[in-house]
Amino acid sequence: MANQRSKYEHLMYPIDWIEERSGLVGGIKYFLFRKVPSDINWFQTLGSATLTAFLVQATTGVMLAMYYKPDAKSAYPSIVHITNDLFAGWLVRGMHRWGASVFIILMFMHMGRVFLFGAYKYPRELTWIIGVILVALGLAEGFTGYLLPWDQTAYWATTVGISINGTAPFLGPFIAQFLQGGEFINNDTLSRFYAIHMLLLPAMIAGLIALHLYLVIRLGVTSPPWSKDAAGSGPLDDESEEKHG
Amino acid sequence: MADDRRVFRERQFRQYKSDVKKRGKPFHPYAMLHDTIMSLVTVGVIIALAVVWKWTTPGDHTGIVMHDGVASTEGTSGWLGKLTDDPADPGTISFTPRPDWYFYFLFYLLRIFKWPESVILGTIGIPTICVLLLIALPFLDTRAERRPLRRPVAMVTGVLVIFSMGIMTYRGATANESLGSELIGKVPEWAKQQGFANNPKAVAGAKLFAVAGCMNCHVYLGNGASNLGGPELTAEGAQHRGILFQVEHLKCPSCVTKGSAMPAFASQGQANLTLMAEFLEASQGPK
Ligand code: HEM
Repeated sequence: MANQRSKYEHLMYPIDWIEERSGLVGGIKYFLFRKVPSDINWFQTLGSATLTAFLVQATTGVMLAMYYKPDAKSAYPSIVHITNDLFAGWLVRGMHRWGASVFIILMFMHMGRVFLFGAYKYPRELTWIIGVILVALGLAEGFTGYLLPWDQTAYWATTVGISINGTAPFLGPFIAQFLQGGEFINNDTLSRFYAIHMLLLPAMIAGLIALHLYLVIRLGVTSPPWSKDAAGSGPLDDESEEKHG
Repeated sequence: MADDRRVFRERQFRQYKSDVKKRGKPFHPYAMLHDTIMSLVTVGVIIALAVVWKWTTPGDHTGIVMHDGVASTEGTSGWLGKLTDDPADPGTISFTPRPDWYFYFLFYLLRIFKWPESVILGTIGIPTICVLLLIALPFLDTRAERRPLRRPVAMVTGVLVIFSMGIMTYRGATANESLGSELIGKVPEWAKQQGFANNPKAVAGAKLFAVAGCMNCHVYLGNGASNLGGPELTAEGAQHRGILFQVEHLKCPSCVTKGSAMPAFASQGQANLTLMAEFLEASQGPK
């Protein structure tokens, strides 16, 4: 064993090199081998499933962006081209389109489990609030993405959607005007929606997910509340022991 | 009291940390295994949906058919709907605007709150209040208790919210739409009931009205839908607003009625708009 190890030791050099400079390997080890309550269950996989759905959206979205053309003349033909001419284009587009629904459903299911578990309570309030913002941003992704195929459904659903935005007090008309970029939905609306859909919102969502996960790791996940030996539910130990953090 | 609660919950969290340290198991491989399986299921479901979408599309699965040498998407709905709809055309509006399914509950709210007095409540008010309530939840419910059976208020509220969202999504999805092609057949009957059969301009305007998509939001003589909360127009002419007003309003509804959610119909052109205005002014309510 010992012999073998030294034989392959040089393979570890790059990793050691990175670790020495960044401490990242230690971080990843901490992430992987940190303790979680022994009674966690399947409900608690919904968060990571949501993350997976988001990653599917990000990946397929980048692929679509390579062929999609965000102007009123070529948007529709480029969508038809992706769907019918490109190799597996229908699959990438189909995954992006239906992945959006799956992402939203999973977000709501994850939210439901957090609610059921009472996991929004102290000290996880901030994790919850970030989650609520993520739902809003996720829905905004759905709204802006819906226009991009530039077909009848897209055009008219968005027309009404923007008008509805415009009815909001104070900021409403400004937001509607900004989204639309003119008196009607036009070329500018499309490129605006595209920029928001593929740059602004995904960046915000990714950043907030990172914060969300940082908090989840820092605070730990809750035990199912009905579990007999749920962590932190028994009689409190004597104070003296450890400090938290 | 509040202080006691604070001390208690801090101690309880410390207890949680020490319990996890003593009795917990490492994230990898235990939680990792479950998370990986669930993620694979997620990706599997997404791929399956994409495949069903494409391969239940009738014909050659391209979602495009030729009618007399013109490309069209008519009748290409598979189990999950069309691959693409017809290209956007600002001129013809003969169908109902439909958002993606997860906005149906919002669309249904618009049916409950009618234009114009309370529509803002439905569109902006209720959603904003919901988001604010969700954000406030951890501060409204500050008890340490997490067991569902000991949180009856939270559980009942949660079930009611899920239930009503479900119902509204369903009602939004099944809200009946009327098609322009069906409505145009009713024009002679309208003309008879309203007594404008001898006014060719009003009749032409009625036909435009039937196919331009007005009736996705407005009711006229019992036809059409109040989906989006537009007012009934059966007796619009009885208000004697005049042709000029009607044309200006159709061109840009929100310029005339501040905050109107009705889309602009300026793309119909002055001539068509004047015909529609004739029709509206001729609609005095059935004799
Ligand atoms: C992009 C969307 C989201 C992602 C990727 C995500 C990811 C995660 C992950 C991986 C976990 C840990 C494992 C688990 O509990 O499933 C978690 C926990 C948590 N999430 Fe989310 N989440 C998202 C949205 C939300 C939403 C919408 C809410 C609620 C409004 C929320 C509130 C929470 C809370 C409070 C926890 C801590 C749960 C506990 O400690 O038991 N998250 N999230």
